[in-house]
Amino acid sequence: MIRVAATGDLHFGPDSAGTFRPHVERLDERADVLLLAGDLTKVGLPEEAEVLAEELRGSPVPVIAVLGNHDYHSDQPAAVRAILEEAGIRVLEGEAAVVGVDDATLGVAGAKGFGGGFAGKNATDFGEPEMKAFVRHTKEVAERLEEVLGGLDTDYRIALLHYSPVKETLHGEPPEIYAFLGSYLLAEAVDRAGADLVLHGHAHRGAEKGVTPGGVHVRNVAQHVIRAAYSVYCFGEDHDVHAGEHARSLQRAAG
Amino acid sequence: MEREPRPEAPEEEPPHYLVQRVREALAHDERVNELELQVRVQGRRVFLGGQVPTKERHDAVEQVVHDLLPECEVINETTVQDYGEPKEVEKLS
Repeated sequence: MIRVAATGDLHFGPDSAGTFRPHVERLDERADVLLLAGDLTKVGLPEEAEVLAEELRGSPVPVIAVLGNHDYHSDQPAAVRAILEEAGIRVLEGEAAVVGVDDATLGVAGAKGFGGGFAGKNATDFGEPEMKAFVRHTKEVAERLEEVLGGLDTDYRIALLHYSPVKETLHGEPPEIYAFLGSYLLAEAVDRAGADLVLHGHAHRGAEKGVTPGGVHVRNVAQHVIRAAYSVYCFGEDHDVHAGEHARSLQRAAG
Repeated sequence: MEREPRPEAPEEEPPHYLVQRVREALAHDERVNELELQVRVQGRRVFLGGQVPTKERHDAVEQVVHDLLPECEVINETTVQDYGEPKEVEKLS
């Protein structure tokens, strides 16, 4: 059995110190890996990333993350990533990591994703350069996601995103802003490559559960939605073992 | 031909624009930087809702709007996220 803890939209700032650490210290009692679905910081400042890095340093389970739009706001995503990685957190952008638990393997393909909307009510890369750049960014991210996810040869596969691949997990948000909260291109990439689960955040007023048109489970793990420090999802048979004690991160980069 | 006088601008800013000005301030003011808070304006009262990660940001939300609109009463209904560990586990396969 592999137990996956997931959360998103922590929006860490200097005032957040100590808010997540108590959960991290006991995480191995409940999970074998922790996945973070972006918006880790308030505005993507290195000093904000340092606060979160200290909360997660020495985590008893591997921590894998993607960045969100907030983490880009100060135009220092590379610095944010470097600080988190120095603390042992694996940050993915069009990349994958593999975690082994006992005899099972879990592959995580991570990307921030982007907006554009959902089939029939979506933006098209047509017209002004700004509009074309907007949609092309989503297309590039989705293509890379499909490539990395499809390249994973593991027992279970998760796509870890910040933006949503489906409308269902946005219900509760104003429909007028759906195009800025996700894109069907992300779902299409997941359905083509295959996966067991898609995790995302970003939509604070959204709903937790959805499914891609191809039948892959989607979960919005923004803390505001799950109303818990994190959610836990299980794969495989329960062999009644403390799998967390045996968790080992192979951290194999796929790209 | 005599032109019709240009209509005078309303003395009060329409709530439609006022709400958005408050939302922009909450998004860009470094004390808050929250994009998903709910803002409602009724007369000279501004109602704020949603969740914020810390007590500091809960208090800052109110201060930011007070600084922007000192003539308005700010009703801060935001709540601080204080989440515990999950009560259940979802089995997916």
